Amino acid sequence: MDQNRQGARASYVALAVFVAAWILLPSAVRRFNREAFVEFQAPALHLAGKSRDLATFWEKKSRSTEELVAAGRDLARINAALELKLKGLEDIRRENQRLREVTRYNVPAEYLSVVARVATRDSSSWWQRIVIRKGRNDGIRPGAPVVFGDTVVGRVTAVHLTTSEVDLVTSPGFRCTAYLEGDDQSRIVLVNGVAAHSLGTAKARVSVIPYDYLLPAGTPARVTTTGMGGVFPSGLTLGYLDGGAYATQVGNFKESLLVPSRDLYNLQEVSVLVPLIQTPGEALMQGEQFQ
Amino acid sequence: MREPADTKVLPSTPVEKLRLYAVFALFSLGFLYVVGGLAYRQLIQSNDLKEQSDNQSRRIVLRPPARGRIYDRNGFVLVDNRARWSVKADLAALQKEIRVEYLRLLAAERARQAVQVDTERVMELARVNVLQGWLNKVWFVIDEDQRKSARKPAPGKATPLDPPGERKVNIEELRKHLRERRALPFTLVADLAFPAANLPAGPDEGVKAVARFIEQFPVEGPIRLESDIIRTYPHGGMAAHVLGYVKDSDELPPNVEDIAEVRSETLQKLRQTGKTGAAGVELSFNHVLKGLSGWELWTKTSSGYNQTRLKYSEPVQGSNIALSLDLRIQRTTERALAEIKDTQGVPLPAAAVMLDVHTGEILALASQPTFDPNRLAGRITAADYDEVEKSGAWLNRATQGLYPPGSTFKIITAMAGMRRKVVDWDDILECGAFYRVGDRDFPEHEPVGYGDVDLDKMLAISCNVWNYQVGLRAGPDALAAEARRFGLDAPLLESSASPDADGPTITELPYPASRGLVVPDRDYKLRIKAGPWQDGDTANFSIGQGYLLTSPLHMAAFAASLARGETRTVPTIIHDPSRDGRHRGSTPIGLNKAQLDAIRGGMVRCVEEGTGRSARIPGLPIAAKTGTSEYFKNREKAHLAWMIGYAPADRPVVAFCVLVEGQLDTNTWGGKTAGPVVKQMLETWAGTGEQPAAEPAR
Repeated sequence: MDQNRQGARASYVALAVFVAAWILLPSAVRRFNREAFVEFQAPALHLAGKSRDLATFWEKKSRSTEELVAAGRDLARINAALELKLKGLEDIRRENQRLREVTRYNVPAEYLSVVARVATRDSSSWWQRIVIRKGRNDGIRPGAPVVFGDTVVGRVTAVHLTTSEVDLVTSPGFRCTAYLEGDDQSRIVLVNGVAAHSLGTAKARVSVIPYDYLLPAGTPARVTTTGMGGVFPSGLTLGYLDGGAYATQVGNFKESLLVPSRDLYNLQEVSVLVPLIQTPGEALMQGEQFQ
Repeated sequence: MREPADTKVLPSTPVEKLRLYAVFALFSLGFLYVVGGLAYRQLIQSNDLKEQSDNQSRRIVLRPPARGRIYDRNGFVLVDNRARWSVKADLAALQKEIRVEYLRLLAAERARQAVQVDTERVMELARVNVLQGWLNKVWFVIDEDQRKSARKPAPGKATPLDPPGERKVNIEELRKHLRERRALPFTLVADLAFPAANLPAGPDEGVKAVARFIEQFPVEGPIRLESDIIRTYPHGGMAAHVLGYVKDSDELPPNVEDIAEVRSETLQKLRQTGKTGAAGVELSFNHVLKGLSGWELWTKTSSGYNQTRLKYSEPVQGSNIALSLDLRIQRTTERALAEIKDTQGVPLPAAAVMLDVHTGEILALASQPTFDPNRLAGRITAADYDEVEKSGAWLNRATQGLYPPGSTFKIITAMAGMRRKVVDWDDILECGAFYRVGDRDFPEHEPVGYGDVDLDKMLAISCNVWNYQVGLRAGPDALAAEARRFGLDAPLLESSASPDADGPTITELPYPASRGLVVPDRDYKLRIKAGPWQDGDTANFSIGQGYLLTSPLHMAAFAASLARGETRTVPTIIHDPSRDGRHRGSTPIGLNKAQLDAIRGGMVRCVEEGTGRSARIPGLPIAAKTGTSEYFKNREKAHLAWMIGYAPADRPVVAFCVLVEGQLDTNTWGGKTAGPVVKQMLETWAGTGEQPAAEPAR
């Protein structure tokens, strides 16, 4: 009995000593420990991602021949359509190139694109954050925009050696400026992630919509990046306005919800657009000296 | 040790018993008092005490509403609200950082072996240092140009040595904030789109600064981005005297007593600075435009910062107003006035008004020089105030300016003569180079005179001698009565719900010139101690000179009345499509058709071949009368150029009045100077295609 009591007391003492040590440790040591833990976790995350890829592979492998033939036929049609689109884009690219040569305009390359597989979804922030299998070793830096095709997925918030954390568009930590389709005056609006209710569908809020903005008839209005903030390239799709825009009582401005254009829960692969020149926001995130 | 057997525990004698009972009674009373007090507090006072307790830990924050918009008659926005993005520091969230800085500074002070450390000063310095650090970060993000040219500071020196004013934390503002609004976030940058006098370089730069902050500054943390609504005047100084401007207001909104939580005297109330009208329509219709304030009920921490929002109500925007102004005509009018310049190239002071003849709605009302209300919509800087003051732009010359109307008054002299039957429309008077009144020769502006002149010719050439004769025949009382019949000394812009109503009126533009208007008569001259009335005074009066003072708006209203064949026009600045064209106090003009036709014919001749030729527009018949009156500026004689009238002459729709204040060294003449302005106004009006329903002139 006494021995048990002594053992329990020793456990409490050990816990107290550990907590006190953790509190008193210099922040550099704590940061090192945290990073070390993330690196320790990284192989498991990689393994989980690759296991999922393998499972998908075997799931597809188990399909019947008829199914595969049908899927192949569908794919061929999509390929044909995309090839046609590609040809059109190639014509545009050539015309663009010709105009640049005529005007002697050199467009500096602004971003380095790094393709990364999604390792896992971080459950600690209600699934509004994903972890990708590329990190500092691959040149990824904090603050970089993350896209899939022409759609914004989110932005990098933390970079580790071989993994990075990405805040999705619907995360409360995400904020950017946008243009609304159909606004011929190109006035900027604010897109902010909204904290989701437990397992409810995550959305973002679009605010500061001008009072005289009218939704285009028929199709949902596309919300695109402005390119003015120095982080996101212009013209990328953030999503679509959900239904309508509702006036706030404050007057003059309306608000609406943004429905992301991609299913952010089922992303397999994304591209990180790493800016070639460091942005001030990145410098702030890294705590660099500034003037 | 044992007690002695005879030790008495209880009192035995009556005295002792009495004393004991007395003590019991006292204790019982005391106990009853305590129990009673407790019961009183718990049962009777409980609600009051609970409210007191709640109030000590709660506060109301009042949120000002957005003001209503102001439109022109066609729905174009004249006054709007825009989003103002401001960067604010949450002082509660910065407490820890400030504490660390405070301890660092305190240690440094003690290391310097300071005898007595002023802890208050050190705490203030700590606050400033921390806020300055965050302000530097904000500027680092929003000012791209500065960043590109910035030198890397020496290690450990994050703060620039001497940042410009807008990049420094204003200590006075911080002290005031901590004194009055401690619970609210402290404003680091008030308007992100216009953070400094030298920024933005262009319209896009402001938007870029906002976008850079939104996308690059960390979302989480003590620095917040807040947006609110501020007044904006998209057309700058256009119609500034009509629209007015707003100023900061710390007053509690009138609906504050309607908020149940605010009724308590003990509840702390914090209010953000709101806006109230300071001039023009912004002031006179402030009660319509201002809206209803919102409020938030917060619990507060022991340090006085907001903790949890318990309840809230959003502010409600004020109502919109549609003015009768036509943006296109207003713009043209102001541009045309700005083209009239003195020898130094500075635009001359001037005013112009255009009215709808039938409804009295003001289509354009311009006063020059003007000011930019955007620069006054907030705290007016001394430099801005002095600039407006020096230019004389505070005065709305169209409604507040008082001038002798000069030859435009000759129409009234002619009407007075005809109504007193001292002259008729076809009478011909001999008009020489001058007319002798007493021992003084009153001159004609044509050195050789005009010879035989009838009413029609008089109006075309603006003959003085014809008016001297008619004025003297009719007498000063007739001239004054006629001027008053047309309301030349009556207050304008005071409207009521109905033309028949005698109820309260609304002054549509503040501070009208009604007190200074003068239609002189014998009593007036005696009142100002200028001696008895002389015939020379009548001669001067007959040509719109002397003591007569009126405003351009009055003369425009007179022209509109003449066009309709009535005596009064009630001008209004508010657009109401349901107006029936009736004017309070208006009566028929009291002339026969031949007399009225003669006046109108003369006014048409004035534009076709007379003094108003510069306003002539092919295909658009205009009836007008020019005037060049004399006034004293800096004790030297200068000229005022006038032109009043209406168009189209055969089917009047709009009436106008243009006035230009000449300078000592400028060649300012009625038709020549004011005519081109009238021409441009009418061309724009005709080009708008807006032809309000009109009846033929009677």
